[in-house]
Amino acid sequence: MLLEFEHVSKCYPGDVWANRDVSLGVEAGEVFGVLGPNGAGKTTLIAQLLGVARPTSGRIVMDGVDVVRRPDVARQACSYQPQTQVPVAGLTSMQAVTLAGRVRHGRGPDVRRRAHQLLQLLDLGEWERNAVPLSGGVLRLVAFCMAAVEPGRVVVLDEPTNDVDPLRRKLLWQQVRTLADRGSAVLLVTHNVLEAERCVDRLAIIDQGRVVATGTPAKLKAELRAPLRLELGLDLEASSPPFPAFVRRPAATRGRVVAEVAVADAGAAAAWAVGLQEEGAIVEFLLAPASLEDVYVRRVGVSLEEDASAAGVG
Amino acid sequence: MRRAWDSYRLLVQWQFLRLRNVLVLIALIQLALALGIVYGLSLLVPHLDHTSALFLATGAPTLSLLLLGLTVVPQEVSQAKLDGRFEYLSTFPVPRLTSLAADVSFWLVAQIPGTALALLVADLRFGLHLRAGWAVLPVFLLIALSSSAVGYCLAVLLRPQTAQPVTQFVALGILLFSPVNYPLERLPPVVRDVHRVLPVAYMADLVRWSLGAPHHLSLSAAFMVVACWCGAGLAASYRVAVRQR
Repeated sequence: MLLEFEHVSKCYPGDVWANRDVSLGVEAGEVFGVLGPNGAGKTTLIAQLLGVARPTSGRIVMDGVDVVRRPDVARQACSYQPQTQVPVAGLTSMQAVTLAGRVRHGRGPDVRRRAHQLLQLLDLGEWERNAVPLSGGVLRLVAFCMAAVEPGRVVVLDEPTNDVDPLRRKLLWQQVRTLADRGSAVLLVTHNVLEAERCVDRLAIIDQGRVVATGTPAKLKAELRAPLRLELGLDLEASSPPFPAFVRRPAATRGRVVAEVAVADAGAAAAWAVGLQEEGAIVEFLLAPASLEDVYVRRVGVSLEEDASAAGVG
Repeated sequence: MRRAWDSYRLLVQWQFLRLRNVLVLIALIQLALALGIVYGLSLLVPHLDHTSALFLATGAPTLSLLLLGLTVVPQEVSQAKLDGRFEYLSTFPVPRLTSLAADVSFWLVAQIPGTALALLVADLRFGLHLRAGWAVLPVFLLIALSSSAVGYCLAVLLRPQTAQPVTQFVALGILLFSPVNYPLERLPPVVRDVHRVLPVAYMADLVRWSLGAPHHLSLSAAFMVVACWCGAGLAASYRVAVRQR
């Protein structure tokens, strides 16, 4: 493993635990997702890796070096896109990205070439010579370029797609993949579960500072042994058809029904849905395996519901 | 060493690009501040004699340098802490105090035109015959670094909401109760004793000396005290810069 978190914990005064006994490993060349709800301890984990916060206990080892003791090694090896703003007010996109690359000790001509390439690949050409907007998706994308222009052996991305439009999101995910393909370990922190499912090689779900699940998306979904998801699209004025026994827990909203179907009943469910479509009773249908979101909700949702009920929220 | 210099140069460039649109405004404010110290304070004394005029004119750069370190730098750090810039820049592979050095360099350069012009105007207005010698550069740099190191420590250690009133209080104390614009003898004995340890009186004397005006304390003692404060300030700044939360 290139990067390993070994039993990392952080306790702030007042017995406030930001994370507890977190153990993870990230390989070079893989995109590793860290998923979790707000306040789960994801950003603390990054701060610990980058030497901004010191773990109360545990080690973070990069290439055999404990970077808790040697934060300078971590800073050298990690390039970082923060969740917060980056200091680019008054700079053009090209200036911001080039400066970040040069400060990371990239060679001038290489950095300028790569900066231009990245800005073009993310469809930011019109901002290349213009001042970076101070909010929104373009700023996030420029911040990504600042981390990717001279990538470290570990590239840390904290919520990289926030505020980014759908088309440029696709372009961004391609570049995230490219970073890993070129040998960097990408540590991707996000709560955008659906997009993460398409991009990450492996992931960990963190809740209340602890790792509650880890593995590939496929492995986590298989472990869930979840039923299939059946979605029916109806005309807005149409009423739901009567459901056979194998369609379980149907939940109807205006124009849409979502239900569960056991894997063994997949064939019967598909035939039933095709029949409904041919009769014109439904407009469309979708029969799909459990998504990573289902895994996430199952792993994290329970604790959130417990918290809410403990706080008296209905 | 080469890498450290490159990092410093790039961070200074970053700072200039970030603030270039307000650079003229900053320079004008610095000019107004320096002129204000010379002319504004002279209004308090209707019939200004030569010695008082000399104190006011040569005190203005000292006060500007102290205000740079004790209010401008801490405000920059506090603002950077609030918007995440401080933490972000700390994740770059650069020596820990490079960011502070870049800040001081920027503000020092922004301050030079105002200070120079204020000195020139005061020289012409009061007929002081000041002569800026080679020592101006090291003396100004030493004072700017010393005060900025103290201001930086305060701003890193204190929460932004607390840092601002504290640094303003310190600046006001220096403006009113420091022998920069008037002789040390005017202060009560207790405050005079305090100023034997604090660097402010020595800084003011070094500036006077560098501008060819009469100075009142031993130059070697002044250099030693200010250099000690500078060294201690930078050491403390390094400590707080490498501190992890």
